[in-house]
Amino acid sequence: MSQARRPKRYRCLIGFALAHLLLILTVCLRDTFATFALATTIFPTALKPFWNRADAAASFVLGEDLQLRNPARNVATFYLNAAGIEAGYGFFAPNVPSNYKLVFELHYADNRTEYELPSVADAATAFRLESLLDRVADVGYEPMRQIMFQMLTYPVWQRHPDAISVRAVLGYVIWPSAEQFQRGEKETLEPVYAYDFDLRPSVPAMTRP
Amino acid sequence: MTVRSTLQRIEQFFFYRESDRWVSVLRIGLGLQVICLCLALRKDWTYLLSTGGRALISRDLTEAALNAESPFIPRLGWLIEVGNQFSVPEFITLWFTWIVLMLAGCLLLVGLFSRIAAILAWFLYLCVVRSVGYFSYGVDNLTIIGLFYLMIAPLGDRMSLDSILWHRASNRDLLPFFRRILQIHLCLIYFFGGVSKLAGIGWWNGTSLWRALTVPPFQFVKPELLVRWKMFLPAAGLAICALELFYPIFIWLRPTRTFWLVSICTMHLMIGLTMGMFLFAFIMIVLNLAAFAAFESFTRRLRARPVGALLQY
Repeated sequence: MSQARRPKRYRCLIGFALAHLLLILTVCLRDTFATFALATTIFPTALKPFWNRADAAASFVLGEDLQLRNPARNVATFYLNAAGIEAGYGFFAPNVPSNYKLVFELHYADNRTEYELPSVADAATAFRLESLLDRVADVGYEPMRQIMFQMLTYPVWQRHPDAISVRAVLGYVIWPSAEQFQRGEKETLEPVYAYDFDLRPSVPAMTRP
Repeated sequence: MTVRSTLQRIEQFFFYRESDRWVSVLRIGLGLQVICLCLALRKDWTYLLSTGGRALISRDLTEAALNAESPFIPRLGWLIEVGNQFSVPEFITLWFTWIVLMLAGCLLLVGLFSRIAAILAWFLYLCVVRSVGYFSYGVDNLTIIGLFYLMIAPLGDRMSLDSILWHRASNRDLLPFFRRILQIHLCLIYFFGGVSKLAGIGWWNGTSLWRALTVPPFQFVKPELLVRWKMFLPAAGLAICALELFYPIFIWLRPTRTFWLVSICTMHLMIGLTMGMFLFAFIMIVLNLAAFAAFESFTRRLRARPVGALLQY
């Protein structure tokens, strides 16, 4: 490339770099503000409206307020996803939460009850299962959560076709602190959502929260 | 300072003499990461990615949620659709995707057809991660970030088969430019990670570290053992926050760079060993080494004084 054309090319590349880094910065700010607005932090609660406004401003910059069909929003969303920069990096922040646990309670015709946990074949997938349970607990739209519970229960029923009903319970595990653990306290399960599924062929599949 | 001189300074920051070693580290590291991710997901591949009753959470649901964000986000559904056009069942397309992804990882590892392999690995892994949706976690996004930079970076480093067999060389002009972007990106990752952590009281009193190390599925250290060292948890938690928060400062200063790089890599190694997040630890170490390791000075020292160089590093 000729020496004359090189600076022009450099400036185009620098423009790309600045735009790319600015997008990363905006996403990081949005997620940090959202974390501060939603979670318990060391900041005064009076600041929550400020964090909410700041989060909304960052989302506006990213085009998240635009309509779904808007080309600018679609270009931005595509680029953010393609570059893997659509989410911030507040791993284990602001606090490491206790985790969720899903328990299936299987009922049989002879009044037997069995308990089962969701299973995956590989230990590496266990981290993914943990992510899934966190997200299921966060789903605010009830019909969507119900469908997810149905899906999670289906493989359990396939493994136990003679069960007549399954209760799926998603609970929040309250983990003892180091001091509580030293005193011999164990973790406790606080049920958050429970759904009953009737599996008898004559009864239509029924769910209830 | 004039606009012209500012522009010149920015140009000098992004364009300088740089070796291609960082591309080798990124390419080999990401090749290994893709291979390991494929192997880790092998047993649950169709269980996580199928539609209907065969999956834990049907892919239809995840991709419907994806549509609510944008219909243009790449997903496995597109590949399944293409397969359907040729009457290929979903099951076959899913396993074909796994094989091609694995192959792309192997090609990246040896540096053969690096550009095609990088594009394939990025696109397929992006499709998998977006379709797996609810099951994804930090390691997936960081792998996509690495693959995205690898895909656009000048490939053909001296350690690749592309360079050895066909004498393809990296575009030396662009080598420093992409390394700079990766460096700044890492600084943003750590800075915001540090800020978010410091806002939580749990990182000040050691609760967060206790939970991170003892709550399942991260339970790799026995709580009975950890509780004996509980007085060190607040200090360790704050040290992690400080390491992340000040990363964007001390990683740029020559006297502290090596110390900070070794410390952050040690932190990730410990995360891998104590929490079982081996792939997360590995990708972070790869990204850090690719961004900030001074390969040339290390190689020079190693040639001069092999033992001394290792000690100094």
